[in-house]
Amino acid sequence: MAQRHKRLTYSLIVLVGFLTVCPVLMLILGSLSEGLTAFGTFTVKKYIAAYTDPDLFLVLFQTVVFVTGAASLATVLALFLAYISTRTDMPFRFLFKIIPVIPMMIPHILFSISWVMLLNPSNGILNLLIRQLFSLDHSIFNIYTLPGMIMVEGLLDLPIAYLIIAPAMSSFDVALEESSHVCGSDSFRTLFKITLPVLRPAILAAFILCMIRCLASFAVPSAIGMPGRIYVLATHLYRMVSTGFAADYGKAAAVGVSVLVSSIILIYVYRYFTSSSEKFVTISGRGYKPTVIKLKKAKIPIFIILLTLSFVLIILPVLVLIYISLVPYSMVPSAKAFASMSLKNWITVLKDPISLLSLKNSLFLGVFGATLGIALSTFVAYVIVKVRTKSAGILETLSFLSFSFPGIVIGVGFMWFFVRTPLYATIWALLIGYIATYLPYGIRPLTSAFIQIHSHLEESSLVSGASYLKTFRRIVIPLLTPGIVSGWILMATMFFRELTLSVILSRPGSEVLAVQILRFSEDGQWGKLSALGIIMIVVSTMLVSLVNFIGSKLRPME
Amino acid sequence: MLKKIGICIFLSVCLVSLVFATGGKEKSSSANSELEGTVSFYANITSVEPLMEDFNKKTGVKAEYTRISTTKFLSTVFTEFEAGKLLADIVQAPLPVMEQLRAGGVLAPYKSPSAAGYPDWAKREKDGIYMFGIEYVGLIYNKNLVKPEDVPKAYKDLADPKWKNKIVMADPSIHPTTISWLVALKQNVFNNDDAQWRDFLKGLAANNPMFVASFGPTPAPIASGEKAIGISMPKYIVTNAPAPLDWARIEPLMGSPRAMGISAKAPHPNAAKKFVDYWLSKDAATILARDVGEYVLAPGVFPPIDGIDKVKVIPIEELSDNELTQWAAEFKKIFGTK
Repeated sequence: MAQRHKRLTYSLIVLVGFLTVCPVLMLILGSLSEGLTAFGTFTVKKYIAAYTDPDLFLVLFQTVVFVTGAASLATVLALFLAYISTRTDMPFRFLFKIIPVIPMMIPHILFSISWVMLLNPSNGILNLLIRQLFSLDHSIFNIYTLPGMIMVEGLLDLPIAYLIIAPAMSSFDVALEESSHVCGSDSFRTLFKITLPVLRPAILAAFILCMIRCLASFAVPSAIGMPGRIYVLATHLYRMVSTGFAADYGKAAAVGVSVLVSSIILIYVYRYFTSSSEKFVTISGRGYKPTVIKLKKAKIPIFIILLTLSFVLIILPVLVLIYISLVPYSMVPSAKAFASMSLKNWITVLKDPISLLSLKNSLFLGVFGATLGIALSTFVAYVIVKVRTKSAGILETLSFLSFSFPGIVIGVGFMWFFVRTPLYATIWALLIGYIATYLPYGIRPLTSAFIQIHSHLEESSLVSGASYLKTFRRIVIPLLTPGIVSGWILMATMFFRELTLSVILSRPGSEVLAVQILRFSEDGQWGKLSALGIIMIVVSTMLVSLVNFIGSKLRPME
Repeated sequence: MLKKIGICIFLSVCLVSLVFATGGKEKSSSANSELEGTVSFYANITSVEPLMEDFNKKTGVKAEYTRISTTKFLSTVFTEFEAGKLLADIVQAPLPVMEQLRAGGVLAPYKSPSAAGYPDWAKREKDGIYMFGIEYVGLIYNKNLVKPEDVPKAYKDLADPKWKNKIVMADPSIHPTTISWLVALKQNVFNNDDAQWRDFLKGLAANNPMFVASFGPTPAPIASGEKAIGISMPKYIVTNAPAPLDWARIEPLMGSPRAMGISAKAPHPNAAKKFVDYWLSKDAATILARDVGEYVLAPGVFPPIDGIDKVKVIPIEELSDNELTQWAAEFKKIFGTK
């Protein structure tokens, strides 16, 4: 068994290492080379220039506030929604399983623009409404602020947190809570002494993954932060590469190295806090049964709060997108606007051969890429949780490498790498790049799920004569289904709208949706942009529903 | 049940991958082989699909367009060029970018017969650079929000406090074209009077303009009424029609020349020459002006924007990357960006 584990760990280190180290290595080489490419005369000038920038301190401070704020908001909201949708008798629970995932399917730039339309201080729709209702002469909300950025980024990261926390919540052994009640604890004490501590690995995983994602995020800092003159690391890097025509990605990579180091530290912090994993086991040989908690009188008020929250935070921005797709140009709702509505943007997009090719390519990358990615993630997560040797720690760190590098530069790292292979300018380069970069989306939900499964279950299977593979297929995989479904959804929806790598690696024939969306965005064609965005949301929703359905059929307890 | 669903998923994944793998291979071979009748074109220009179709109709050559943003243009082209994998036959970018490509040996000399009527400064056959248009910048405003009598009559009017919190522009501490444009104002509008020019900049900064990353996001807030006026491009009046946009009739309009050239190692050199000839022709220039609102250098061709054929449009003096960085730092102080 130990020998098998060792072999599996080393094979995975080689595979994952190859996928993630190459682009990062290229970027580190670029940061230490003269010129604009990865190979040049050695220099540390780029590091000196990057780290002696007087603005860096303020940028770092704002980045810390932005990242911790958004990750906290996403995690707390996810916890609340996951609890309600998996553990209670709330009516229409299925709705609250879909709603938190919606922001995952919307191109982030579009979601940000939608919030600008709602809450800009000059003529944001919600601001105008409040001004009229209360006869005010100024707007109450200003989206172009740090709290505005935190809110929108937090909502965009909500699906990541939700998809990690919900599976853990759904396989929670309620006996632990019952024991607490029997010992005299009230519900509040049970929540903080039992429920939340047992869910610690999932909560921490969600929080850390959201933090790392916020660090790499560009849409919110550029569409909301820049107009408000609030710069975080991503926009600082953008400014670095945008001043002048000869963009020096090496210098940006020099700053990116600190982000990478911070992310690696965060991963080790996470490992430290979840080091005795047996404490978090909730599925053992004794059987487990997540029971439903009756909300009684609180049911209706909580339902109303949830519905309002979901409507304002998630559904309203989507409605704004539908509205923008129907009007001829960016205009505030009015009688004139409604009179000028047409399907022109939709017809243009649906007749555009490149948009249709992009849809086909993105669908392929989403479905096939996520399936391959989740297969790899299952093995990696298994080693990380069940083997827990030093090599497993290395594997976990490796899986985060590309993911942790700021998005604005990682694509260049992949270009520097792929240009030296025959895969350059093909759809396969995109596929490999996606899996390498977003591996943590598959690994995180699966590690949270693995942590909860007691190793006695596998050992019983092995003792009864089943092979290693058969045990994995018959015992482990079925118990992991919620984690697999979550990971697949995270990966597929991410691949379906991926921009960072695609914008650099896609070429004629391998166009993808996000690049087409960027084209519309750069030309200020918000109508076509929204129409294509809604098509993306619809297709993603269908994919997510299908996978949720398959997942529910596979789950052993249902 | 589990087994059946598992088999179904496995089979469908195999099927999908088989279908797409064929597509991928086709792409791969077409991108790397020397197929007659294809030309690859790297640029960052809007809505050029009608030109591609017209070119295909006229010559039978299929043009493949790869859009690469200006910030990634040099990095992408040099990376491919150094690896011996530059897929572009034609590169098209603002003049300063083309200058760097020429210096890096990426461009091939070519004399196009279609450039006969172009101004002399626009033709640099030996360097392999042809300028075919000017990215003209002006003051764009919302007709519903700005009364005719309030429309600026001169650039300095934008410093009037009445425009406070009503302006949108690309960030002057990063956006190269905006930096060059502001610097060019000093020479071409303020007659090199440094004090007057700086007063204008300070007035503009005091009006607290909203900064966006580039020109692309400038028309939307003006069209929606979030802002009343902006330093933007008149071509958006065409591409954002029927938005209530108009331009302030102020002379001169200034902008960076748009240029193109053939790659020294073009995989399809003959098709590339045909493409340059076509792009510089009156037919192509007419489509570019009519559909995209571009200001082209082909004689007698103008975009369908009222009054644009009567205004003086001049190319601005290009700044080196060092100069751009210095001015960016200066504007950062003036405009208070951090």
